[in-house]
This record gives sequence, C-alpha cells and structure tokens, in this order.
Amino acid sequence: MIGLIVRRFIQLLLLLLGISFLVFMSMHLAPGDPATVIGGPTATASDLEAIRKDLGLDRPVLVQYVDYLGGILHGDFGYSFQTNQSVSDAIITRFPNTLKLATASMVVAVIIGIIAGILSAMKQNSWIDISSTTFALAGVSIPNFWLGTMLILIFAVNLQWLPVGGLSSPIYTIEGMKQLILPAITLGTASAALIARMCRSAMLEVIKSDYIRTARAKGVKQKSVIWIHALRNAMIPVVTVIGINFGGLLGGTIITEQVFAINGVGRLMIDAIAARDFPVVQGTVLLVAAIFVIVNLIVDIIYAFIDPRISYD
Amino acid sequence: MKNNKVLFLASFLLIIIVFVAGCSEESSGGDAESNTTQEITYASTSDVVGLSPIDTNDSVSSNATFQIYETLFIKDPETMEIQPLLAESYETPDDNTWEIKLKEDITFHDGTPFNAEAVKYTFEQIKDPERAAPRASLLAPIDTIEVKDEYTVVLKTKEPYGPMLSALSHTNAAIVSPTADKEGDINKEPVGTGPFTFVEWAEGAHVTLEKNEDYWREPAQLDKVTFKVVPESSTAISMLETGEVQFLDALPSDQLPRIESLNDVEVQKSEGTRVSYLGFNMEKEPFNELEFRQAIAYGVNQEAYVEQLNGLGIFNESIIGPKVFGYNEEASEATYSYDKEKAEQMIEENGYSGQSITLLAANRDNYMKMAEIVQSQLTEIGLDVQIETMEWGTFLDTTRKGNYEMTFLGWSNSTADGSELLYPNLHTDNINASNYSRYNNEEFDKLVEESRMSVDQDYRKEKLHEANLMAIEDAPWIVMEHGMVTAAYHTSVEGLIVDPTGSWSLYNVSRK
Repeated sequence: MIGLIVRRFIQLLLLLLGISFLVFMSMHLAPGDPATVIGGPTATASDLEAIRKDLGLDRPVLVQYVDYLGGILHGDFGYSFQTNQSVSDAIITRFPNTLKLATASMVVAVIIGIIAGILSAMKQNSWIDISSTTFALAGVSIPNFWLGTMLILIFAVNLQWLPVGGLSSPIYTIEGMKQLILPAITLGTASAALIARMCRSAMLEVIKSDYIRTARAKGVKQKSVIWIHALRNAMIPVVTVIGINFGGLLGGTIITEQVFAINGVGRLMIDAIAARDFPVVQGTVLLVAAIFVIVNLIVDIIYAFIDPRISYD
Repeated sequence: MKNNKVLFLASFLLIIIVFVAGCSEESSGGDAESNTTQEITYASTSDVVGLSPIDTNDSVSSNATFQIYETLFIKDPETMEIQPLLAESYETPDDNTWEIKLKEDITFHDGTPFNAEAVKYTFEQIKDPERAAPRASLLAPIDTIEVKDEYTVVLKTKEPYGPMLSALSHTNAAIVSPTADKEGDINKEPVGTGPFTFVEWAEGAHVTLEKNEDYWREPAQLDKVTFKVVPESSTAISMLETGEVQFLDALPSDQLPRIESLNDVEVQKSEGTRVSYLGFNMEKEPFNELEFRQAIAYGVNQEAYVEQLNGLGIFNESIIGPKVFGYNEEASEATYSYDKEKAEQMIEENGYSGQSITLLAANRDNYMKMAEIVQSQLTEIGLDVQIETMEWGTFLDTTRKGNYEMTFLGWSNSTADGSELLYPNLHTDNINASNYSRYNNEEFDKLVEESRMSVDQDYRKEKLHEANLMAIEDAPWIVMEHGMVTAAYHTSVEGLIVDPTGSWSLYNVSRK
C-alpha cells in the first residue's frame, strides 16, 4: 500500500508538471491580452506596454514559465494580475467554501443515489424502479443553472424557507446548514442520478449471480442477502463513480457557485479566465488537477478495503 | 417490512431538511429586521478590484471608493452642474492656471489633515508613470501642482484644459490620505475623507463600510453599508425580493418586467451618458467608402432595437447623447435616419449587392441582440451578413488590433463631457488604442482639440457640436442607443439618486 502511495505521488508530481506546462502555454498563446483587460478601453499603446512590462509579460514565454516553476518550488504561486493578492491566499480563502459545497453535494448524491439504486434493483420494473430511473434520466439532463434558479424561486423566494445565496455562516450553525441545502441539491442531483444508475445495474448483476442464489437457497433472509451479501460486491463500480464524481464536483462547482453567489474556487477560476489573470488561472487549475488525482488515489485505496482480493503490492 | 428501514431513513432525512429549513425562519426574512436598522446591502455583479481610486479604473470599485473618498468638485446628480466639494472656490487668473481654495478643518479617517499638500501628493501619484495609474490621462494636461498656502493649490497646464473641472470631479481623481498611502496599501485599507469609513474587505465576498461619525458635514444616516458580490442577476433579484439585499443597479433589460412586478421594490430609471454603437473598421474595404457606410446607416432601424429594451434605451442617433456636455438637439436631426428604400437603392447603385460582411459581436451585454437585429435588417437591404461572436477578453484584443470589419461597442462617459467621448474614441491620437474605428479626419481632430483646449464653456459646446455633426456625416459609428441608468431598491430606502453616469452616493440615503 505504501508502495502504491509513493508511486502515485511521483505520478502526481509528473502530471502536475505536465498540466502546469499545458495551462501556462494555453493561457499565453490563447487570444486575449491581460494588459488590454486591465488597461480597459481608454489605455493607449504605451500604457499597455507599461502594464505588460510591469507584469513581466514582455519576456519570452519559456523564460516566464521557468520563472513560474521556480516560484512554485518555493511555494510561491505568483500574484494576481488584477488585485495583486497572492494566488495561494486567494485560493486558501475560497477553498473551504468549495470543499463544503462539494462534500455536502456528495452526501446528497450518495444518499439519494444509493437508496434509489438499491430500491429499483430490488423492485425491478416496479413503479419505484420506473420513477427512480426517470429521476436518474432527469437528474443528468437538467442543467445546474436551471435547477438552481428553480430551487431558489421555490424554496427561497416563494416559500422563504431557505436563503437565496451566500455561504457566509459557519457550517455548524443552522444558518450555515440552511445556506448549503439548495446549492448541495443543485450540484448533487446529477451525481445522485449517475450513482443511482450505476448502483442499480451493479446490484442487478450481483443479485443474479450464483452465490446469491445459493444464499437464498440456504434460507438467508432477503434483508441479509441485499445488505450483507450483495451490496458490498456491488459497491466497487459505485465507489469508482463516487470517487470520480467527487473529484469532478470539486472542480465543477463553477455554475453552482455563480448561481448561489458562493465565494469559491470555481468562481475565482472563471473570473480569472475572463480577466486573463494568468497566475490565478494556473493556480486554480493545478489545484483542481491535484485534487482529482488525489481523490482517485483514495478511491483505489478504498477498493482494497472493500475487496480484499485487490492488492497493489 | 424489508423496505421499512430505507423508507424510514429517507423520511428521516426529509424531516431533517424541512426542520432545518423551517426553524429560525424569522432570521432569513431580513425584511422585518432591516426596517428598523440603518443598514443597506447592495448587490454587486463582481468584486471590487481594489479600493484605491488611484489604482483602479472599473465601475464596481468606483461604487465603493465613491463612498470612502471625496473629490475637489462634484457633479450634482440631478442637474450635472459641477459644484465644489472638498474645494471651497476656484479662480482662473489666466487660461493655463487653476487656483483652487480648499475647505478647512477636514481630516482623513486616519486623522491626517486634509490640505493642499494632500492634494498635491494625490495628483502627483496619479501622474507618476511608476505608479501606472489607469486614469492618469485625466490629469495628463496638468503640468505643475504647487502649494500656495496650506489651503490653496495651484494647477498649471501647458495648454488651456477645458474639461478640468470634469476631470477633478471624477471618482478616480479623489483625494487620498498621504500618510495611509505612504505607510500602507490603500488598495486594501482605504483612507479618505468621505462619509463612510472602511471596515472589511472579504475578497470575492463583500466589502463593508460604516458611518464616519467625525465627518466634516452632517454624518450620513446609514450606520452600515455592505457591497455583496452576487454574480448572477437573477439571483440578485431573488435576494432583493427576499430582503437579503436592498439595492441593485444597472438592471438588465430582459429582467426588468420581473423586477417591476415585485412588491415593495421601487425602480428608478433615468437618461444616462452611455452610448452604444455599430462601429466600422475604416481601414477595411468597403467600409472605407462613405456610400457603403451611409447605405448601412440608412438600412439599420435602431428604433426596432430600442423597442426590445423594455424602456431601458433612448432612441437618438446623435453621437454625443442628450445627457452629455456638447449635445445640441440639431444633431439628432442631422442623422441618416432609417430609410429602407434609400438603403436598397444605394446598395444597388454602388454595386454592393450581395456584399459579404462579418459582424463581430462580444457575447455580453446586449451585443448579441443587436447583432441579430442588425443582421436581419442588413440582409433585407441586400447584404450577406455573418455574425461572429467572441468572449470579451478575446474581443478586446481582436478589435484593438483592427482585425474586424464591423462590431458593436459602448462608451460609458464617466465625466459626461463630450470631449471625453470624441477624443478617446475618434481622434487620430488614439488609433491603435481606444479609437477602434480607426477614424482619421484632420478637420475633426482640430475641432476636438479646440473643444479640449478652451476654458470658455460656450465655445467648447459649439466646437463639440460641430465635431459631432462632422462625425455623424462621416459615419464611422452608427449609434444604436443611448443608455438609461437604473436602480431597484426596497421601498424602505430613501434618498437614493443615480446620476447619468451611473454612479451614486449613499450619503443622503436612509431607511425608513
């Protein structure tokens, strides 16, 4: 297991190096000049030149990249072109909000997804199954943007049960939990749907296998068959989906953060892209990539616990 | 029986959600509470870039700095007349000298006295190339800044500078505390003389200000002001409805019917200084031919576009708009008004039939809507129009380099002075910069320069009118609309006035 972690860690570093190069180059080579955005429409050509010099953008791209890498090795991710704030500070302030949102969404997704998946597998082709698969289809098809806006209109504006947006109160307060509910449902619905589908098909497959028939023949109760014998074996693909989704959720909170006015990493990234704030874009993309890889490593470790036959050594 | 556990778990979860949602309902409403407190929350579409008027240039930052800092002069939000604010009076002994007497006994929030030294310090910082202040151009015509005595400052220009008072009343020419600027970062810890003092800036989330109890005039009535970042306009409107925010501005025209239908919300609409236009790249064929531009000008029906804006646009084809200094009603009648037959005839006579042109549109504001309407109108007169859309950052870069044929842009005139519209946008000095149309006309340049280099306001107005007529005739631009400034606020908010440039002060605002 330690071997796996070390191997994966080295892979992670190589991967991040590759990603940093790709992001750096794509930002610098893509159309759009940070100086034009910062200078605004009134800036003259010499103003723009001065801004480029000030930001160090007048040097060759490769020199800038090597400089950037050198900074990262010293823990310096650079400074925002827009606000001059350190990129690490900007991310550290916002990451807790994104983590809260992604975790809450995952909780929503896992609970709804697994329950719906098991129920429809147990009652295949019943009304429960049909409504659960319909939910799954709707869940993956409905855009976050629309769902979020509808939830706001129903629960915040009309019923006035929950606040419209923001994530300013601490999570352990009632106000903090209330602020999380709508964004978590918005972001978690699509994952819930995927988990439900995966859970249903995995359960159906397991339930039809020989050992389950044997267990039933031996008179094991239905409850034990499902919860003890079947579920554990059906969990492997489900855990994969959960893992990949969680990584995706952490990097894919942009729209939900935008709709619910949450000050998270997703919004930081999208604002930075629009403003051609290169250091912030690079910092946030690296973070999201690193998280994605780390979450996948954790998923691999969990496999070994669920299925003792899996060994990485 | 088998499913009972699952069903129980599901119902339990539902109950928890409903319980958490239901309890402490009174605290989410905000309405009842906010009626009694002198607090206001404004929903801003993005975060401030910084809080130093010297180092920022965007309207979101200006909204906040306008409450913290003050300028020597200020425009009356209703009449747009320039009045002294931190200044007491001024004299112009000759055309190149501005002797400004300052008000006495004013201190900055950090206790630093406000005096001629503070003005000199601020203006020198704005002009300092090292500091690279984005609005350095405002004070560029000022040659020297002298302190005559503690409360008198003398500004000397090389050439007479007509829009001086407009420039000095611009938010980016606000006076900062020299002590605070030397010892700290006023971009993060702002210190001015204004009615509100800085409390906190949670980056990406909000800026909080509180009442300046030691203000040199009567203190403001609001105790606390929050600028909350809400990027989505539909979310901001929902927040206005539930009382989480009390004030929005720059309302999107497509959301206006929803806002106007809300209970307890008032909408303010008035004519603004912003102009939106269809601009040609005059260095590309056939856009360099007057007949072609004229044909398009006759073929575009701006009224049809303005009708789609739910009343948030003014139909007037003059380049200098009705709320901008230099406007003369005559100009609105000197334009190439919509005449489809004439347009068709010109297209045919000049051999432009079927001419293929690309219309570049940035995917923000109302530009896409404009593009679709203009495309269909120009197709009707016999042109083949393709729309190309671009994201804003790419768009700015592309248009600045002149890689386009025709496009839509707008100009928010923050000084409300015609010279500040015509000079940056259409003067030859600014080709490769803000003169996106690359309009090059010596005679026009001369008129604009005369309007800038005189301190005789009647003469300036006349020159601006002449320049305006010339540009209308040459048609480097076809004006699509003149903008409206808007705000929506809870009915408990009193005393809010949005001026034609879109800025507002919270000094006279209160909650009832």
